[in-house]
Amino acid sequence: MTSYGTKIKAALLCGAMTLGGTSVAHADMEYQQVSDLLHLVMSSDRTVYTRMIVNRLANQEGVIKASEHFEDEKALVLPAQMFRFGAEMVAEETDAFSYSLLSLWPINKQNAPTTDLEKEGLQYLVDNPGENFYGEEELGGVNYYTAFYADVAVAEACTSCHNDHKDSPKTDFEGGDVMGGVVIRIPME
Amino acid sequence: MTRTPLLWVVWGLITLFGVGAVMAKLYVGGDRTVLLPDQTAGAHHQLEISCETCHTSDAFESQATVRKDINKTCTTCHKDELKAADDSHPKKKFTNPRMAPYWEKIDGRFCTSCHVEHQPEITGPMMVTLPGDFCVACHSEGEQDIRVDRESHAGLTFDTCASSGCHNYHDNRSIYEDFLVKHADQPWLNASPVIAAAALPTAPQPENTQAIEAYLASVTVKDADPEILHDWASTAHAAADVTCATCHAPEEQAWTDHPTQEVCADCHKPAAKTMALGKHGMRQHPEIAKPRDAKKTLKSLGWKDAPEALITAMNTYLNDPTPPAQMSTNDALVPVKEDAHGLDVTCSSCHSPHKEEPQHTAVTACLSCHDDQHSTSYPDSPHFALWQAEMLGDGVPGSGVTCATCHMPQTEKKGLAVTNHNQNDTLRPNEKMIRAVCLDCHGLGFAIDALADPELIANNFSGQPIAHIESIDWAIRRVEPSGQGANQ
Repeated sequence: MTSYGTKIKAALLCGAMTLGGTSVAHADMEYQQVSDLLHLVMSSDRTVYTRMIVNRLANQEGVIKASEHFEDEKALVLPAQMFRFGAEMVAEETDAFSYSLLSLWPINKQNAPTTDLEKEGLQYLVDNPGENFYGEEELGGVNYYTAFYADVAVAEACTSCHNDHKDSPKTDFEGGDVMGGVVIRIPME
Repeated sequence: MTRTPLLWVVWGLITLFGVGAVMAKLYVGGDRTVLLPDQTAGAHHQLEISCETCHTSDAFESQATVRKDINKTCTTCHKDELKAADDSHPKKKFTNPRMAPYWEKIDGRFCTSCHVEHQPEITGPMMVTLPGDFCVACHSEGEQDIRVDRESHAGLTFDTCASSGCHNYHDNRSIYEDFLVKHADQPWLNASPVIAAAALPTAPQPENTQAIEAYLASVTVKDADPEILHDWASTAHAAADVTCATCHAPEEQAWTDHPTQEVCADCHKPAAKTMALGKHGMRQHPEIAKPRDAKKTLKSLGWKDAPEALITAMNTYLNDPTPPAQMSTNDALVPVKEDAHGLDVTCSSCHSPHKEEPQHTAVTACLSCHDDQHSTSYPDSPHFALWQAEMLGDGVPGSGVTCATCHMPQTEKKGLAVTNHNQNDTLRPNEKMIRAVCLDCHGLGFAIDALADPELIANNFSGQPIAHIESIDWAIRRVEPSGQGANQ
């Protein structure tokens, strides 16, 4: 009887674990799906701004330049700044997710990887072109679902700026190269 | 009733009476200074009677909520200033979870991480309550190690970052690297040293004696002082058809001999707004809490729909001069002349009500109160000599430099000069003055050196700076020989 009862308990536990496991996997899928969709919007906007605004006006037609000091220089906002300003504006509205543009070769050192997962994820993007990287990490006492997406040189403006900048640690970028990564974080509880 | 219960009742009544007396003293009297844990920093002492300006949390809130609430109040007054400064370390830079490791070092999400109030014994320059080498917390390790990233910084100690004239935590508009490179070759004095905004046309005034006479002939004012009337006739106010009643009987109210500064503010809104951002007028800031707002107090006590009659009666009863509407010179923490004590700082402290006197408004009024070495040295300074020359017609418009030129700088708006009445706007750090004022006449290198030389500041810039800040030299070294732009 005891043995029979134990078997029932074990079966129930297994069922619960299975259900739980399914739930976690399902949640992971949801995190990934949300993250992928967010990135699709970010990536599209970023590419449009880089190709159709900065590359066209600054590099191809030469009617205006793009500068980090866009106010003083009366210039276009750099694509990386455009992305960061958007991320900061989102952060002022919600803490349901956050995102950053990071690189193993950042011009601005504050965009270098700081967490272990950032280092692992950015390296994975470089080593595995065309693939994304997903992971979890704890930051400030909160668990995050963290997704990494390759940031690719989509226009001549990307490579020329980074290759020519005196603070750039890497100066041989070519079109299509992975220059860094977009990192999206979603708090898991 | 036996003796013991009677004593309990007496004790209770005495306690209630005592508590009531203290509450009455604090609330009705309005003076909360007895509750101060210690003195506040900088100009915040002017708000010490309005605790609610900063302390907005409800009673018994968690420490995290109280911290969040207090930090919100910092930006109610300083938000525009930080935005204008293009803040180098804004809160939004630290809210991303990836910055969590830095939160444990210095939590940049909160103003109070660096500026703790009521701690005079640890409050340093810029009202910072951290040790002077606070930059070390984030810029001494890994990718952020500035000693590795910049060859010129290899042997530097972190106590010199913010104290040497090279970096500020918030405002680096005039000292960021590309700006240094761009202005590196400027001479100490420009070929045509003129304050551009001060050279702009002023508001229209009667052009000559005939115009003044014509104005006087066109107005009839009963019992008017002829001298006042003549002074008035030559002002821009008169040219704009502002009459005696506009100020002395506004909106058909009864005549008053002493109009309040609200009358001035009705028309001069930008001036009033900027005045309320500086030490002279900060008690006029719209976000300063009124310590005895009856409606708010009753609401906080749970009476949300108190009768208007009761609120009006309470406000009428409590409507005494605390908190004072204006700052008094008695409140000043800087040296003030002996005979200037006890004066309220209002519009008419600097602006004569019935005539325009640039010398008084921009110089004499300041020197009638301020008694520090920088101020008292001004009449012997080259800047003052230039101002005198301009007043005598020997200098072109905008060539003179007054107290107001630097401390209440003007900007152009719709072709006219607009004066910033926040006398703090170009101070703390004083590098804020470089772009707003100094560069109109001087080169960047000279301006940086001069503002980093305490003795030169004390003698009101009579001479050349002894100190030399090497930031431009280092910035140039980094871009040579490539000629490329440097990154901030």
